[in-house]
Amino acid sequence: MSVLETYSHISSSPIFVSSQMPDIPEIGGFVVFSGIVRNLNEGKKVTHLEYEAYAPMANEMISSILADARKKWDLLHANCIHRIGKLEISEIAVIVETGSMHRAEAYESNRYIIDRVKHEVPIWKKEFYSDGSSQWSKGCVHESH
Amino acid sequence: MDIQLLFFAAVKDHFPDLKKIEVSEGDSILHLRNILTHTNPGSESILKVSRFAVNQTIVGDNFVLREGSVVAVLPPSSGG
Repeated sequence: MSVLETYSHISSSPIFVSSQMPDIPEIGGFVVFSGIVRNLNEGKKVTHLEYEAYAPMANEMISSILADARKKWDLLHANCIHRIGKLEISEIAVIVETGSMHRAEAYESNRYIIDRVKHEVPIWKKEFYSDGSSQWSKGCVHESH
Repeated sequence: MDIQLLFFAAVKDHFPDLKKIEVSEGDSILHLRNILTHTNPGSESILKVSRFAVNQTIVGDNFVLREGSVVAVLPPSSGG
């Protein structure tokens, strides 16, 4: 697993929301989105998930999406980390942080980043159900989920 | 000539042991799609919606393969 630790946007270790703000005094608005493993999907009880990534490509693509967000909005901070491996219910699967002088840019860019990460980046989840079955998620068919 | 293959998620389940495959000079991603579908007809529906990356860059159906190309077959993303 140590090889994976070299990717700044892909992590095989748990992700936590930090109470520490970036040390950038110009920031007036800071938005954190976290995608959480929930216990129910499409009516089926989920026990845990497993995330797989094409790690080097996923890492590069997240970097590139963050760079695009920085071009579209005046951001002072932008970061995204996606977890891989086995995740239990209520663990954080993905986190997106954006910071700007005012809240509008931080909110809008955060949504832009998570939407593109979910749709474009080569990361996949397998759902494991309480009846012992499992299946790969079909992908982003529900736009806003 | 041989190309290397990387399969992920649902696609990997269709080709668990396939690591490389022989294609002809001038063959494109479209040819590779057909070869893979022919190899395992059950993979047709997932291959239709999958993207292909060569050396970590997404490419279209007309992209021509070269000796040693590393081709990744990427089913629809389901991160987040």
